[in-house]
Amino acid sequence: MSKNPCAIIGIGQTQHKSRRWDVSLGGLVREAASRALEDARLTWADVDAVVLGKAPDLFEGVMKPELYLTDALGAAGKPMFRVHTAGSVGGTTGIVAAHLVETGIHRTVLAVAYQKQSEGNAQFALGSGKGASLGAGGAFAPYMRSYIHRTGAPLDVGPMVAVKDRQNALKNPYAHLKLADISLEKVKASQMMWDPIRYLESCPSSDGACAVVLTDEAGGLAAAADGRPPAWVLASAVRSEPSSFPGRDAVWSAGAADCAADVYRQAGITRPREQIDCAELYVPFSWYEPMWLEAHHIVGHGEGWKLTERGDTALGGAFPVNMSGGVLSTNPIGASGLLRFAEAALQVRGMAGEHQVDGARVALAQAYGASAQYFSMWLVGSSPDPFA
Amino acid sequence: MTTYVESTVRFPYKRSLGPVIGQFMTGLTEARLLGIRADDRVIVPPVEWDPETGEQLAHEFVEVGPAGTVRSWCWVEKPTTQHPLDRPFAFALIELDGASTGFLHAVDAGRREAMTTGMRVVPRWRTERRGHITDVEAFVPGDQPLPVERAEPAGEPVTMMTYDAEVHYLTPVTENETRVGQAAAEGRFLGLRCPRCARLYVGGKNDCPICAVALTPQDEVDLPQRGTITNYVIITPVQYPGQTETEPFARVHVLLDGVDVVLMFQPVVDLANDDVRPGVRVSAVWTPPDGTGRRALAGWRPTGEPDVDDPALVNRIH
Ligand SMILES: [Zn+2]
Repeated sequence: MSKNPCAIIGIGQTQHKSRRWDVSLGGLVREAASRALEDARLTWADVDAVVLGKAPDLFEGVMKPELYLTDALGAAGKPMFRVHTAGSVGGTTGIVAAHLVETGIHRTVLAVAYQKQSEGNAQFALGSGKGASLGAGGAFAPYMRSYIHRTGAPLDVGPMVAVKDRQNALKNPYAHLKLADISLEKVKASQMMWDPIRYLESCPSSDGACAVVLTDEAGGLAAAADGRPPAWVLASAVRSEPSSFPGRDAVWSAGAADCAADVYRQAGITRPREQIDCAELYVPFSWYEPMWLEAHHIVGHGEGWKLTERGDTALGGAFPVNMSGGVLSTNPIGASGLLRFAEAALQVRGMAGEHQVDGARVALAQAYGASAQYFSMWLVGSSPDPFA
Repeated sequence: MTTYVESTVRFPYKRSLGPVIGQFMTGLTEARLLGIRADDRVIVPPVEWDPETGEQLAHEFVEVGPAGTVRSWCWVEKPTTQHPLDRPFAFALIELDGASTGFLHAVDAGRREAMTTGMRVVPRWRTERRGHITDVEAFVPGDQPLPVERAEPAGEPVTMMTYDAEVHYLTPVTENETRVGQAAAEGRFLGLRCPRCARLYVGGKNDCPICAVALTPQDEVDLPQRGTITNYVIITPVQYPGQTETEPFARVHVLLDGVDVVLMFQPVVDLANDDVRPGVRVSAVWTPPDGTGRRALAGWRPTGEPDVDDPALVNRIH
């Protein structure tokens, strides 16, 4: 199936914090979108359509926020799409925007995703407003215990991820958590929240937004000619599976494997570990780093924790993961997926600042949602055909 | 006949108002109605960005009203607890004097016949104003401003508000779900066996997720009431409005004997958090019959049998 090239020419995000009470909800998304347009050297009038993603409405109690935020996103009279795929929504928002360009429906599309967690309560929303909410940590703890059991991973691997991602966040000016004194000892001494997950192995609650400007080949080439390198969307895929069915493997799930296989096939990747330079994976709880490395077949089953333990996934390692500090450092839920997708693009544009991976040419981004059942992934490159 | 389960979800959401709506809300505490200038128009309530162009508007606030003209309305004959008034009233789009846009608020006209498009209305302010749209209790018919108590300038600018959301749900209950509830009331676990693939499910499903064929009462089987804990979580409860838990509590996955059915995230009875582990043998505990003779599952209690020594149990999640 042929498609038109799609270039990412603008990226913006807010300062992420526990409470962004200095701005309205509109002001929050506006901050990210304005920065993305500025980065793309475009104006509101240059945007043909807006795609908006966020976690379910129960989080802030704003129904149909895509209508409420029309003014803030300069979308009056333009197509406005709302995307719903739970925690993976930020990633899917980027993919929907890319599709609109790749199919030639629109030339330039603004993708925006946000969450203002301080206006509501995530545990309340995840528990559908009832008592005894499991929360995300409670829902995923059995999966992580199963992973540890199957692979025999040393129990220090989770805390190692927690330390590494917080160290990366110190290099990211937008990150929420800045834990300068983070250490393995500190992580292991923190409260056990949902065994095997401790407090410091869990993501924070953040207010924040992310925006990405996507455009066609001519727009991408124009940006490149102007000395502003674009990121090219090499491949994208979404997959989902039911939350529960007989024989479901929630650790190395079929949906996760199929989503990655589709992305690798589209891009012509046969050896992901060697051909991809770095990855932003949705890791809200420490153990999900090795779990996703395996479930997405970046390495074989049982091999993911070895990468982490060897330091390969550190910023200077052989296969850096979550250079931005990841979801463990910044979690405006609805935006978290798009933040992963944006960071991958920043890396191949060479614009990631202190958390830049030297010479990154191909980067993978992933987001997941609900009972680890929705997946969205994209692969971006510094050129439209990096393996030619 | 479809039956429904009623439920209500409530939550006190917060809103950070930002520089423009914050100014409007602050004005309300002073019994002033503010709009914002956008070229030759005045938009009420004020907005941060020009709805036409998307450009940020300069913070040029304009006092409007207090009187205005009803441009459109609809009568609310039976107000709910969420409506601004507890008696019949009109929701109206009111063009306040000096404004270019309609302002949505309630008109306390007493009866429907008193409402006309084009009628003049004025606000009836509350005595205690806190920077909320309900600081105007309602508009009332008339052209002359009503006297306002305590219209002195606000002390602190208003930057936040709460929004007490309440959503009432009517959830349809399928026949299979109803039958599961009826069986539970008798202390039975209903299962459903797919007629095509023979997979066994906990009751209440409508189709086999593998074969996509309908499951009907003909496919029902009673499930055993004993099983083994395969995996678990101890949850540290976060407090939120509506939270029922204050102490860490366990939820366990139970693999029922002789079948491939795993019940996920089940409560436990007489099993301390420290003793929760894979392999513990458990049996169902039902509540005593209530006033109508119905029981419900209370949770799972250890049977006292030796643990099942199967390392693979921990992988049985679904
Ligand atoms: Zn079947």
